[in-house]
Amino acid sequence: MPQYPAGTVRAMLSTDLVTPATRAALEARLVSAADHAPQFFDTATYALLEAVAARIFPQPERDEPIALALGIDKRLAAGLADGWRYDAMPPDREAFRLGLGGINQAAQAQFQQLFVALNDAEQDAVLEQVAAGTAPGENWKAVPQSRFFEDLLAELTENYYAHPLAQEEIGYVGMADGPGWQRIGLDELEDREPDPISN
Amino acid sequence: MPDEEVLEEGVLNPTKPEIQDPLLKSILVENAAPATDPTELEQPAPLPEPNEIVDCVVIGTGAGGAPLLARLAMAGLKVVALEAGPRRDPARDYATDEKAQNFLFWNDERLSAGQNPVAFGKNNSGTGVGGSTLHYTAYTPRAHADDLTLHRDFGQGVDWPFGIEELEPYYEELEHFLGISGPTPYPWNPGRRKGYPLAPLPLNGAAQLMQRACAQLGIQTSPAANAALSARYYQEGIGWREACTNRGFCQAGCNRGAKASMDVTFLPLAESYGAEIRADAFVTEIERDATGRVTGVVYEQYGQTVRQRCRHLFLCAGAVETPRLLMLNELALNSGHVGKNFMAHPGMQVWGTFPEDIRPYKGIPGGLISEDTHRPKNADFAGGYLLQSIGVMPVTFATQMVRQRKLWGQALRNYMRSYNHIAGINILGDCLPHKANFLELSEEKDARGLPKPRLHFTAQENEQRMNRHAEQLMRQIWEAAGATDIWAFERYAHVIGTARMGLSGDDAVVNPDGRAFDVPNLYICDNSVFPSALSVNPALTIMALSLRTADKFLASLR
Repeated sequence: MPQYPAGTVRAMLSTDLVTPATRAALEARLVSAADHAPQFFDTATYALLEAVAARIFPQPERDEPIALALGIDKRLAAGLADGWRYDAMPPDREAFRLGLGGINQAAQAQFQQLFVALNDAEQDAVLEQVAAGTAPGENWKAVPQSRFFEDLLAELTENYYAHPLAQEEIGYVGMADGPGWQRIGLDELEDREPDPISN
Repeated sequence: MPDEEVLEEGVLNPTKPEIQDPLLKSILVENAAPATDPTELEQPAPLPEPNEIVDCVVIGTGAGGAPLLARLAMAGLKVVALEAGPRRDPARDYATDEKAQNFLFWNDERLSAGQNPVAFGKNNSGTGVGGSTLHYTAYTPRAHADDLTLHRDFGQGVDWPFGIEELEPYYEELEHFLGISGPTPYPWNPGRRKGYPLAPLPLNGAAQLMQRACAQLGIQTSPAANAALSARYYQEGIGWREACTNRGFCQAGCNRGAKASMDVTFLPLAESYGAEIRADAFVTEIERDATGRVTGVVYEQYGQTVRQRCRHLFLCAGAVETPRLLMLNELALNSGHVGKNFMAHPGMQVWGTFPEDIRPYKGIPGGLISEDTHRPKNADFAGGYLLQSIGVMPVTFATQMVRQRKLWGQALRNYMRSYNHIAGINILGDCLPHKANFLELSEEKDARGLPKPRLHFTAQENEQRMNRHAEQLMRQIWEAAGATDIWAFERYAHVIGTARMGLSGDDAVVNPDGRAFDVPNLYICDNSVFPSALSVNPALTIMALSLRTADKFLASLR
């Protein structure tokens, strides 16, 4: 599993290797989200979403994890859609209300506590149930849980890998879009494409 | 969380009195201004003279609307195009970033039903001056003669009302006008009168892997035809377009003009001949007189309601918005086929992990093609498919992958660390019309107060058999190429057939010239008129139909 050197994307963003439009998009995501006050969710529900996101994308190595709940909160507050939804799902806001509530119901049923109070292994056990479509809870009568989990997983994944540091983690350098790419074949790298430091 | 009941999703710009939620109300107020501001490139258009009648209004500026707009303008007609989305400057506005480019997609919500719900948004739809061509992959193979005769050959689906000879002159014209890069001679159709004007684009890692493995297995491959320039090219109406720099971002917008999207080809050509393109103009009504002829359209632009009268209307809004507009206006519905026959191409992908360094973000995504599977000898299905190598942007790859594999936690992060070593192949295959697959208007309203479209899609026996055949073959290819951790993703792309063309108004919406059977001055041109789905990507054929529709219309005026 390749590991790529840290700090390369931040360093590149200040150079001519990146066009202004691309730099603007990525630098906006590097701004700390630590003091974000949720606009759509109430505080407790936002904390629940953050706890779920932290198990889907555990980031123990980062002092400040890439914020993943933030993008969902902003999107729902702005009422934006991505062009479609499963007909079997209620509208997005309702789906999140019911789905996150269902996660707490499943946590209560299995461990008699709210999801945020559980340890990592217990939280994973609850999420595994939801992913498999076997979690208990009244809310799941109104929202199909495996579809809810799929949509949630896809949105968190989009938010994670849109972040410059996550892109650095996987060795993606497409944002270096000032010059073109000449060396595009197998095992052909250009100077601005970092070699992995280990495999 | 606000204590709310079911709220409308989608863009929330117009104020709707039925919305009770205070948070939502305040959002609507805040959003109202930006949603109605033109971009810097757009002049807030003066309102048309209420009594001015233009020759033609064209709704939509994608592959269906743009070529005919140019053709009509060049014939000296007074033409106006109405585009729901904005006009942008790619060189300045386009980021090499998937999320930042979401403005290219039709993001009003569509409801996806059936056993194989089709993804929309970035998968299928576009908005903005240039339509979906702003984010098409630029893959431009021609249809084959027998793509138009599935019923004759297999007894399934319906045939096109004309043969390939009706499209071939337009394919030639388009390949040379757009500057398509491709192989000459074309291996699966070597007898063409004209070759491609430019040499193929270079092969990226995924293309090289597929080429190597297919050679081992005796499958013929070739660099594919792509509507992106492998060298500088002179473009009538715009000047020199620069060559592709292998940026790999075709599906999120080309910032260089190397890809032949409509905004850098037919639309500037049309404007140079006097066509007027109005951006941010969302059509809601099509008006008629007592005889049933279209007299004009009504659209919303920058918060105003505008009427534009016309002698002829060309509806080119894509295979969701076209039937939706027809249904909303109760227009051309006599055949009972508007919204029916919804087809989507089987687009199964197979991915694998390789020891080689691939960097899948570089190069034209669909670099290599094989059409050996156009009519496979051992097939148990009607029609066939093409094979292509695929490069992929990271966010698109990651989100598709998790929907299929459901990886999460450390396993997800670990797998994605191999992104630079992952390559894919996919198919694009024919689809048969089926009564279970259709578009309807739902009861749920969008932010404009219009019913959201609901699309039902369930892959039937033919698509399932094709998928099985293709998955087995693609796994074999990737094994031969040395892949590990091979997995398949069943998906469907493109929206086709919802206002189909045919010989009779009993089972088709438009006649072979593209004119509505029910309405003498209404033409439809986009992928909704395809009688069958074809075993190739649709964009080139939509453009060919667009030029042909314009020529048939112009001939009818003489």
